[in-house]
Amino acid sequence: MTGPAADGKLERALDGALGRALRAPNVPETFHCRLNAGLARAADSADLSTLRKRLESERREQLGTLEANYIRVRRSALGTLIGVAFAAGAAAAIALPWLRAHLGAHTPQALAWGGIALGLGIAFFEPLRRLLRRY
Amino acid sequence: MRAAATGTTGRDQDIVELIRLGRRDGAFEELLRRYEGKVYRLCCALLRDHTQAEDAAQDSLVRVWKALDRYDGRASLSSWIYAITRNRCLTALERRRKLDSGDEPGEAPEAALAAAAAPPWDGRAQQLRALVEGMPEHLRRVLLLYYYEDRSVREVALMLGCSEGTVKTTLFRARATLTEMLKRRGWDDPAYWAEEFS
Repeated sequence: MTGPAADGKLERALDGALGRALRAPNVPETFHCRLNAGLARAADSADLSTLRKRLESERREQLGTLEANYIRVRRSALGTLIGVAFAAGAAAAIALPWLRAHLGAHTPQALAWGGIALGLGIAFFEPLRRLLRRY
Repeated sequence: MRAAATGTTGRDQDIVELIRLGRRDGAFEELLRRYEGKVYRLCCALLRDHTQAEDAAQDSLVRVWKALDRYDGRASLSSWIYAITRNRCLTALERRRKLDSGDEPGEAPEAALAAAAAPPWDGRAQQLRALVEGMPEHLRRVLLLYYYEDRSVREVALMLGCSEGTVKTTLFRARATLTEMLKRRGWDDPAYWAEEFS
């Protein structure tokens, strides 16, 4: 038997046969159990991942705050230093003529040496104290 | 309106609405009811191995669950799920190709799959499945999915991410190839196929 009619018949018969032979596979019985286990694992790892992200974000925030504070302190220290230096200069400009007139010509030098000694004393006091404490 | 634009069906729209409302578990439950079998069958058709198909289907569904909050509705829900599944299967195929480098794909996995899905024993059905197994991969996939999905060209197109026209053309070629195979073996008598199954 040949020709288009025979081909059509074969096609129809084949379609029916394929429909019966190629049955859709059913989802295995263990599928749900395994899927639930997979979902639970995914949920746990998602929780851990969320926690990690939150902690990292908090840590970044804290570091940012610390850095901002540090910069603020440095600026404030620098400002204080400049202000005090100029204030000392102004005070010296006013006070030195009066000191020379009333306490003698060498008074400014004596005061300068005194200031140097006081500054060095303050600067070296703490390291010296630590050194002495160690021995 | 979005449903019409993206081809989302009514029940898919319900799932999308649940996602939008933040009811993720409810949405996923409904999604499983609707797509679990389809995802598994797609994996079977693509991977030709029962165990690997089960693993891939589970992994795909876990990925869908993880990404559910990020689903934005730009693609239809089914296209999105099938795309995730196809990607997972492609990864599995790639891995298998690396492991079996140089080996021809064996017929045993699909034979086992078909045997598990078929009636206990049927000589002609076995012959037919063996013939389908011997077909080129792209024809075999479309033919399997077409019959798995109750002859729905639209569903096969969605599953494989191609147009309905492509599916129809591929089906036509698959049937022609199969008919040619039958003729070569002298199994082209319609009664041969009709009687056994009727």
